[in-house]
Amino acid sequence: MSFLDTMLGRRRESSSHVAKERLLTVLVHDRVKLTPEDLENMKREIIDVISRYVEVTDPGSIEVTLTRGDQSDHLKADIPLRRSR
Amino acid sequence: MARVITITSGKGGVGKTTTTANLGTALAMLGQRVVVIDADIGLRNLDVVMGLENRIVYDLVDAVEGRCRLRQALIKDKRFPELFLLPAAQTRDKDAVSPEDMIALTNELRREFDFILIDSPAGIEGGFRNAIASADEVLIVTTPEVSAVRDADRIVGLVEAYEKGHPRLIINRLKPRMVARGDMMDTSDVVEILAIDLIGIVPEDETIVISTNRGEVAVLERNSLAGRSFSDIARRLLGEDVPMLVFEERQGVWGSLIGRLRARRSER
Ligand SMILES: Nc1ncnc2c1ncn2[C@@H]1O[C@H](COP(=O)(O)OP(=O)(O)OP(=O)(O)O)[C@@H](O)[C@H]1O
Ligand SMILES: [Mg+2]
Repeated sequence: MSFLDTMLGRRRESSSHVAKERLLTVLVHDRVKLTPEDLENMKREIIDVISRYVEVTDPGSIEVTLTRGDQSDHLKADIPLRRSR
Repeated sequence: MARVITITSGKGGVGKTTTTANLGTALAMLGQRVVVIDADIGLRNLDVVMGLENRIVYDLVDAVEGRCRLRQALIKDKRFPELFLLPAAQTRDKDAVSPEDMIALTNELRREFDFILIDSPAGIEGGFRNAIASADEVLIVTTPEVSAVRDADRIVGLVEAYEKGHPRLIINRLKPRMVARGDMMDTSDVVEILAIDLIGIVPEDETIVISTNRGEVAVLERNSLAGRSFSDIARRLLGEDVPMLVFEERQGVWGSLIGRLRARRSER
């Protein structure tokens, strides 16, 4: 926590809260049982499909994240597209 | 017909052996015929925790390999005539027995006992598979720490994959003072993360160490909060509806100086 945060009275998150949030994220990854290799292959295939329709700026910059939702877990892919007019 | 209950955890050192010894004794105190099995082959421990180490002649592997009858390997407890220990072999490793051996062995015991408690080794390998093979029910022990909870989650998945029904959770070594200041996950956090039923909360308690030093178990101590928690779990296993203990720091100057815990039943 920075000095400024302390001055402004911003309280640091409790360590138990941090623990819980980290666990929730780790467990989403553990539970989908996706190997790093599978993840790489999946990214490549997603890029292939998307590129058939739109122009992707940099195929390396796709970001796939797994997050926990209320009802189910979510896989989100963030793919930068070339901006054109 | 006995109920076979395996006590397991994933991560090591979270309190499986302590739990097995205390639940076994508590169930015997409640008039049940109980055998506790040390399935941690090569790292025998349940005998010393129960103070029975001097009585061992034969062990589980001797029984499995036919060097003795199963009955001969059972060690009778010091206090309770209907509580027995089947010790692990100390000089062999987990490969000395197979899941089929464990099923045959427990089947032989089922007729004579009400409860068969199996103390599982840590991990998810052979020793765990042996310990879980004959289980009707599974109790998962965790502490409220990230690594233990993560490993517990893995075990929940495996227990379900082995079709052992829904495991129930014991949260051990809870430190109410740390929870109160936000530095330890609370029961509700752990239960939410693992999404399984809670059967008990056991606080961090020096009486566990003291009892274990003496080869006694905490459920025999009148003033042990951990002992009381384990007794409650035993009663829940018997189907009683026992409210969870709520732990709180003792109020007042002396209370907080000594940092003594007290407990009350949760209101429902
Ligand atoms: N509630 C508690 N309060 C204080 N100490 C405890 C508590 N529960 C367990 N312990 C201590 O923690 C240590 C580990 O406990 P135990 O041997 O039961 O764990 P385990 O899960 O069986 O370990 P392993 O994975 O090595 O078999 C022991 O020294 C024990 O006395
Ligand atoms: Mg143990």
